[in-house]
Amino acid sequence: MKSPSDVAFSALQQTALHTAALLVPSAERQEWTFEWVSELWHVRRSFARIDETFSLESQGEITRFCLGAFADALCVRHQAVKPTDRHAHMHGSAAQTLLWLSVAFLICLFIASFLPGVEAENEAAQFQISPNALLIAEATDDSANPSISAGLYLDWKSTHQRYFQDLAFYHVTRETAQTGSERISWNVARSSTNLFALLGLPLMHASNDDSGLPSVILSHDAWIRSFAGNPEVPGRILRIGHANVRIAGIAPAGAWRLPGSPDVWLLQPDAQIASDLPARTPGYLFAQLSPRGQAAAQRSGMGISARNLEDLLIDLSGTSLTVPVEGPWNLSAFALFLALLALPAVSSVSLGETHLTPHRASFRETLRRFLFLAAKFGLIAGIALFASYDIAYCRTSSYSGGAECLQLIACFAICLTGFRWTLADQRKRCPVCLRRVTNPASVGLASRTFLGWNGIEMICMGGHTLLHVPAQPTSWFSDQRWLYLDSSWQFLFADTVIY
Amino acid sequence: MVAEAKLSHTAAMILQAISAGYVYGFSIMEMTGLPSGTVYPAMRRLERDDLIRSQWERQSIADAEQRPPRKYYKITTTGRATLESSRKRYPLLERLIPAEEASSR
Repeated sequence: MKSPSDVAFSALQQTALHTAALLVPSAERQEWTFEWVSELWHVRRSFARIDETFSLESQGEITRFCLGAFADALCVRHQAVKPTDRHAHMHGSAAQTLLWLSVAFLICLFIASFLPGVEAENEAAQFQISPNALLIAEATDDSANPSISAGLYLDWKSTHQRYFQDLAFYHVTRETAQTGSERISWNVARSSTNLFALLGLPLMHASNDDSGLPSVILSHDAWIRSFAGNPEVPGRILRIGHANVRIAGIAPAGAWRLPGSPDVWLLQPDAQIASDLPARTPGYLFAQLSPRGQAAAQRSGMGISARNLEDLLIDLSGTSLTVPVEGPWNLSAFALFLALLALPAVSSVSLGETHLTPHRASFRETLRRFLFLAAKFGLIAGIALFASYDIAYCRTSSYSGGAECLQLIACFAICLTGFRWTLADQRKRCPVCLRRVTNPASVGLASRTFLGWNGIEMICMGGHTLLHVPAQPTSWFSDQRWLYLDSSWQFLFADTVIY
Repeated sequence: MVAEAKLSHTAAMILQAISAGYVYGFSIMEMTGLPSGTVYPAMRRLERDDLIRSQWERQSIADAEQRPPRKYYKITTTGRATLESSRKRYPLLERLIPAEEASSR
C-alpha cells in the first residue's frame, strides 16, 4: 500500500515529465516520453525499499531526476529547430558572402530578364540603321514633325536623283484595325514598300506569300500588346480602314528610333500612296545617299535646296540616322572602367597585408584569397550590370537615350560602392580561413599613444588570427596588422562543437 | 582535413562511460555522478554527431522481465576515434571510468 506522500511524489514526478514533454516537438514527443517514463520506472525501482516504499530523500532524488527532463526536452527542441550548427559555421564565411552576392546577382538577372526595355536596348544595339540613310525635313522645321509632302516624295521618286540612290516615305495617322471581332485603334504608318529595306532593319518572323494583299509590319509593342507575342501572327489577315491586309512580320524591339510612334507600318506601292494620300499630306522622307551624294555631303554639309510642288525654292536639311547605340556591354565596360579609375579616390586600395610578421602565407592561401577577391569583384560587376538595367528600365519599356544614361550612372555608382565594400570586406577577412574577424575590442588609450598602440582588436573565430587596427595611424603603426596565433590558442576556439 | 569534435570533460566522461559498457542513461548518471539534466542532453548531442547510436530493447525481452523496455546507447566508430583523442586530452578519463568495471557488472 502506497503512502499518501508516495502518491503525491509520484504524481508530481509524472506531471514534471509530461509537462517537460510539451517542450519536445510533437514528432519526437511520444518516443521521448516513452524513454523518460521507462527510465523513471527503473530509477524508482533502484530507490525502492524492500517493502516498495520510498524515503523522503529518495523521493527528492527521483524528483530531481525528473526535473532533469526539462533540460533534455529543451535540448531536443533546440536540435529540432536547429539540427546542425552549420549556420554558425557559415556566419561570416567566404562561402556565405559569395552565396549572398550570387543570390543578389540572380535576383537582378531575373528581374532584368522580364523587362521589355532591356530587350529593346539589346536589339537597338544589334540593329543599326543603314549608315548612309538621311531623314530629310524642311530646314525651318523640327525634324520630329512631318514636313515633306507625299506629292514631293512622289515627284522626286519619279525623277532621276543625282545624290540619292533611293527614297522612302511614311505618314502616320490614327486608324482603326480589326483583328477578328476585336477593334483596335493604332498609329498606322502608310509607308513606301522600300522603307525597311532602305533603313536596313530586319523583320522578325517574316512571312512571305502571294495573296496579293498589302503587307503590314507590326511594331514589337503592338505585337506584345495585341497578340500577346504570338509567333504565329505573321501571315494572318487584318482589316485596316476599309482594306484587308496581311501581317508580313514584326519589327524588332528598339530597332525603330525614328519620328512618330507607329504601331503598324502599312507598306504600299507608290501608286497606292498617290491614290490614298492627298499630295499635300505631310510625312517623313528618307533618302539613301549615292556615292556622289556622300561626297557632296562631306564637302558642303547636309543642306539641300529644292523646289516644292508650287515650284518655289525651299531649304531642306538632312539628318543622319546613324545614332550610335553603345549597347549594354560597352556601357557597362565603360562604367566599370570609370569606377576602377575612381576607386583610389574613395577608398584605400591596400588589402591590409603586413610584412612585419614572421608568418608567410602559403601559395594555396594566397591563391584562395585572391580568387575570393576576384569572385567578389566579378559578382559585384555582374550585379551592377543587371541592377543598372533594372533601374533604367523599370519605368520605361522601350529603348531611350535617357534610360541609357541612367543605366550608365547606376552602373558606375553600384560598381564604385560595391568595389569599395569589396576592399573593405577583404581587409577584415582572416588571411587563413577568409572568415570575417569579429568581436571588436577597444585596446589602449588615445592619451597614451607614445607608450603603446590604441585602436580596435578583432579576432578570427577560427582561432587563426588577431587583427589590430590603429585608431590613430602613427609613424610606427600606420596600417592594420595581422597577428597569427599559434596552435597553443586552438583549445579556446570552438571550430567544431564543444559540449 | 576534417576536424574532430572537441569534447568537454563532461561529454568525454559520458562517452567513456558508454564505451565502458554503461549503456543507458541512469547507469551513466550513477557512474559519473552527473545529474539527469546534464547526462541526457549530452547523450542527445553525442547521438546527433554520430558518436553514439541508440537502440530500443525488444519488447519481448522487457515483457519477460516484467518491466518497460529501455533505450540502450552504443559507441560508434567515429565515437571511438573521438574518445581516443579525448583520452589524450584528459589522461585521467580511463582511470575515472575503467572498462573492466562495467564489464564486471
